[in-house]
Amino acid sequence: MTNRKHLLAGIILLTILTTACEQSKQATSTVRPPTKEEVTKTIPQNTQPELAQVTEGTRQTYQWYCTQCHGIKGKGDGINAKFLTVPPRNHTKAQYLETRTDEQLFQAIKFGGLSVGRAPCMPAWGETLDDDIIQSLVQYIRELCQCEAL
Amino acid sequence: MKTWITIIFSGLLLSAHASAGIVEEKDCGSCHRLHPEDAEKVFTAPDLHYAGNKFQPKWLKQFLKNPEVIRPAGFITNSGFSQIANLSPHSSYTEQEANTLTDILMDLKISTLSPVTSEPLSKGLRAKIKYQFERTFGCISCHQSLNLAGKVRGGISGPSLVNAGNRLQAEWVAGWLNDPEVYMVKGRMPRYKMDPTTLSQFTRFIMTLKKENIK
Ligand code: HEC
Ligand code: HEC
Ligand code: HEC
Repeated sequence: MTNRKHLLAGIILLTILTTACEQSKQATSTVRPPTKEEVTKTIPQNTQPELAQVTEGTRQTYQWYCTQCHGIKGKGDGINAKFLTVPPRNHTKAQYLETRTDEQLFQAIKFGGLSVGRAPCMPAWGETLDDDIIQSLVQYIRELCQCEAL
Repeated sequence: MKTWITIIFSGLLLSAHASAGIVEEKDCGSCHRLHPEDAEKVFTAPDLHYAGNKFQPKWLKQFLKNPEVIRPAGFITNSGFSQIANLSPHSSYTEQEANTLTDILMDLKISTLSPVTSEPLSKGLRAKIKYQFERTFGCISCHQSLNLAGKVRGGISGPSLVNAGNRLQAEWVAGWLNDPEVYMVKGRMPRYKMDPTTLSQFTRFIMTLKKENIK
């Protein structure tokens, strides 16, 4: 029961902290983004994302799914971009991406923007893509920004 | 007795023939997949080989007479999802052609769908699902729908859902959300593992979206 309450509090907090994708003022907080616990539980213990290889498959996956928002070159200018209230992140900008760890990027892709305190317009891909491909997407984004976590 | 059978039989053959005729004559198959067997070919328009599972006949007839735009960015086949340039409007057909085509399309089915409840959502539940549609699941990022003020909102990489309640069969929407691979080998929409209650509520929510509600 207390667990439940914590969960709820967490969810409400997340909800308040994040910007909406599409402004709507009602705050029915029945949402269920992944909780911190769930997130940490599901992340593989030994992530070692620096070992993930960027392959042709990685690039194709990015082109197939991510470009609809992030754009073909990852500049944040996909066809949905101008309809979103929070712009898709520009994956070529080192300045911001240096401030995010690989684990944070992994989480954002797997569980969606909400899970890392970012906007919900970044959907969760954890039911679509497996961990290995998500790891390699993180590395691909590192290639795009030519940057590492500081 | 024998003659009757012959008459009925040739009648069936004839109508089947006439049906195939109009589809060929209008060349729907040059853009649309009409048979599941054509899985290898790349088409330039949405699949219609399960049209009888997906669409409401009334909408279909109306669409064929007076087409509306469903995919504001066009039907995208290239992997880069680039900006689509000029979109030409869909051909329109006469009343009679539309009737025949609708009958033919409604016979194209690939699956038997489980029935779903059509019980309308309560106001509170509707607000809750609308919120989840926009925030928890971010559906609005890729699909147009209606906001509280009845204005069209949302991304354009997925088909517009603004008129989904008139266009789609509730059973099909539930089937799609549950297992899209039945209809599309590899789409661009993320998979969602929804529990049966959420799935049913999302289906009912989508069925409330109708273009008459645009303000
Ligand atoms: C529906 C549009 C959409 C799609 C599709 C999409 N994203 Fe995003 N993404 C966004 C938006 C919007 C943001 C910015 C969120 C924010 O800054 O609050 C974002 C942010 C990100 C971030 C940065 C998160 C952070 O820590 O700030 C990463 C990494 C990312 N996306 C990766 C991906 C990958 C990889 C894919 C494909 C598997 C993908 N995205 C598909 C919309 C999308
Ligand atoms: C030149 C190519 C072309 C031909 C020929 C064509 N269509 Fe289409 N059709 C399209 C495109 C492209 C779309 C997508 C339009 C949109 O989403 O706005 C479409 C959409 C449709 C839809 C809606 C499908 C959906 O999932 O939303 C139906 C139904 C349809 N066409 C029926 C037909 C029929 C019946 C014929 C033949 C009488 C035909 N079309 C001929 C290109 C074509
Ligand atoms: C990243 C973009 C994206 C997100 C997020 C997304 N969709 Fe989709 N959706 C698509 C695309 C693209 C299609 C067309 C089929 C395909 O390529 O998968 C589609 C197809 C559909 C269809 C079938 C429409 C038709 O006429 O064929 C429905 C219904 C639907 N989505 C509902 C939803 C719901 C509900 C959500 C949220 C739970 C959602 N979508 C989230 C991109 C998205």
